[in-house]
Amino acid sequence: MTPKERIQAAMNLQPVDKIPVMCQFSIGHMLQQLKVSPVYFWFDQQTFAEGLIQLRDIYDFDGILISLHGHDPNWKQGIKEITKTNEAEVVEWKNGDKTICPFNDLPYYEFKNPESPPDISAFELSQLPAKLNYIPVSQNLHFKIDEEHKFDIIHYINEKCGDKYSIHGEITSPFDYLLDFLGHQEALISLIDYPGKCKTILSHFTKLIKNLAEEMCSAGVDAIKISSPFAGAGFISPEDYSEFVLPFESEIAHAIRNKGIHVYTHTCGAINDRLELMFDAGVSGIECLDPAPIGNVEIEDAVERIGSKGFIKGNIDSVNLLLNGSEEEILSELKKRIEIGKNKKGLILSTACSIAPAVKRENILLFRKAVEKWGQKKN
Amino acid sequence: MGTEEKLNTLAEFVIKGRHIDAKKTAQELLDENVTPQVILDEALMKGMAVVGEKFRNNEMFVPQVLVSARAMKLVMTILEPYFTASSISKKGKIIIGTVKGDIHDIGKNLVSIMLQGAGYDVVDLGTGCTAEKFYDEYEKNEANVVGMSALLTTTMVYMKTVIDYFKDKKAEVPLIIGGAPINQKYADEIGADGYAKNAYDAVILVDKILEKL
Repeated sequence: MTPKERIQAAMNLQPVDKIPVMCQFSIGHMLQQLKVSPVYFWFDQQTFAEGLIQLRDIYDFDGILISLHGHDPNWKQGIKEITKTNEAEVVEWKNGDKTICPFNDLPYYEFKNPESPPDISAFELSQLPAKLNYIPVSQNLHFKIDEEHKFDIIHYINEKCGDKYSIHGEITSPFDYLLDFLGHQEALISLIDYPGKCKTILSHFTKLIKNLAEEMCSAGVDAIKISSPFAGAGFISPEDYSEFVLPFESEIAHAIRNKGIHVYTHTCGAINDRLELMFDAGVSGIECLDPAPIGNVEIEDAVERIGSKGFIKGNIDSVNLLLNGSEEEILSELKKRIEIGKNKKGLILSTACSIAPAVKRENILLFRKAVEKWGQKKN
Repeated sequence: MGTEEKLNTLAEFVIKGRHIDAKKTAQELLDENVTPQVILDEALMKGMAVVGEKFRNNEMFVPQVLVSARAMKLVMTILEPYFTASSISKKGKIIIGTVKGDIHDIGKNLVSIMLQGAGYDVVDLGTGCTAEKFYDEYEKNEANVVGMSALLTTTMVYMKTVIDYFKDKKAEVPLIIGGAPINQKYADEIGADGYAKNAYDAVILVDKILEKL
């Protein structure tokens, strides 16, 4: 099997020759491994794409997640100056804004004239964006999607290695767009105060995200990940999940599945109380499944409950195990998942959340080592 | 409705996040000459203790906690004038902030809410706080405890910088930490005086620390 076929088989819940391996990276981890300019890595498509390909080579993963897309080829046009400190590169834009790009983490912005989120009590439909031209990567951090170059990076990586490796795109949940649009706390309060208005906003973003996802399917991805980090029990109840997350993600998941492409949801933290609900959205799989202490998913229990519904990708603790654990501890935890994966079709060996920035390269190399040792079908 | 029943009703309004009803009831209690201290202790703190426990047990979630906090804060606005007149005693003063390089604040805000609900005076420094800022605010406010929050594994290391800075200044205030990637082992490694897994446990931790002092 090629790596691409292996991941495809796992997502189809079919037998594999060995357990597939594919983790998602934090920007900080990528930067520290690649030692590239953080400004170029964030804004420049070529630098980002080559970095993703290089990291796949380093770790021998079976696939590549393209976590950002829509890079603007003319991104340098608005720059006044780039300076460097010991901790970061700083872009000063002609409009007075600054983007601080640390060498070990996500960028953050300092806006000359920061905008306040809309007041939901006076909210009007016209305040919603007509086009989806940004990805809400983190609090106060958008990645701009260039309309003319939405999927150039997917074409580029596909051309380079898409025949051999599984290529995954990423979109963001409508719930995330809602939180970003209103401000996180105000949005969470609005679920109680203005549920109808929240649903209007969610419906609007769902329509835009669904269109984006359908276009992404045509760009040549093998699967699409829906990033939905705030939909776990650390934030909202299962009831709110059913009301404000599930119907909207479901609409997107069905649109992607109708195109014959796999789709999976990534929700961080404690999700044990909603594993079945997450599959009710019609996704092919779920990612993350953080174990304690960051989350509360026990892999054996999860496999028993949802193993027949779709594939599972995750459950290796990136912080407490990979960052702070010994080689023996890491191998032991990997072996445990591999043994489960050999009895369950549809397990992709992966970190729960993204590989944390400071995780050592040798600890991630243990994933492949463990699979070669214990994860082959003949064993 | 008797005073005790009204205090219980106010506590219930806080738990349910009914802020307008909570404010109205608190005003009625004040008008009936119930002291602000009794309103704080017997209704607000009682209600927020239930909120904290339910939050820890996954019976309440962040939106519900936020509306409870809104109700508590609205009642506090009508009790506020009595604070300056010193007719209300707080349990202690806590400095809290998210460390330098980190802009995430939901977890920190929840801890702040729970501490206020438990009767502490909280000075919230916001996000991206340097060691100097933590120290200066500690000195200025004569705080009893300093709390640090971090969501990122890249920023949690700055907590040690803050702890070392306080050591250099020979400040003897307890420094406590929390955040998604943090655990007790890490707290011990960097010399923190305490770690709390969630907002409710943060209140228990601060109570215990201040009991010992």
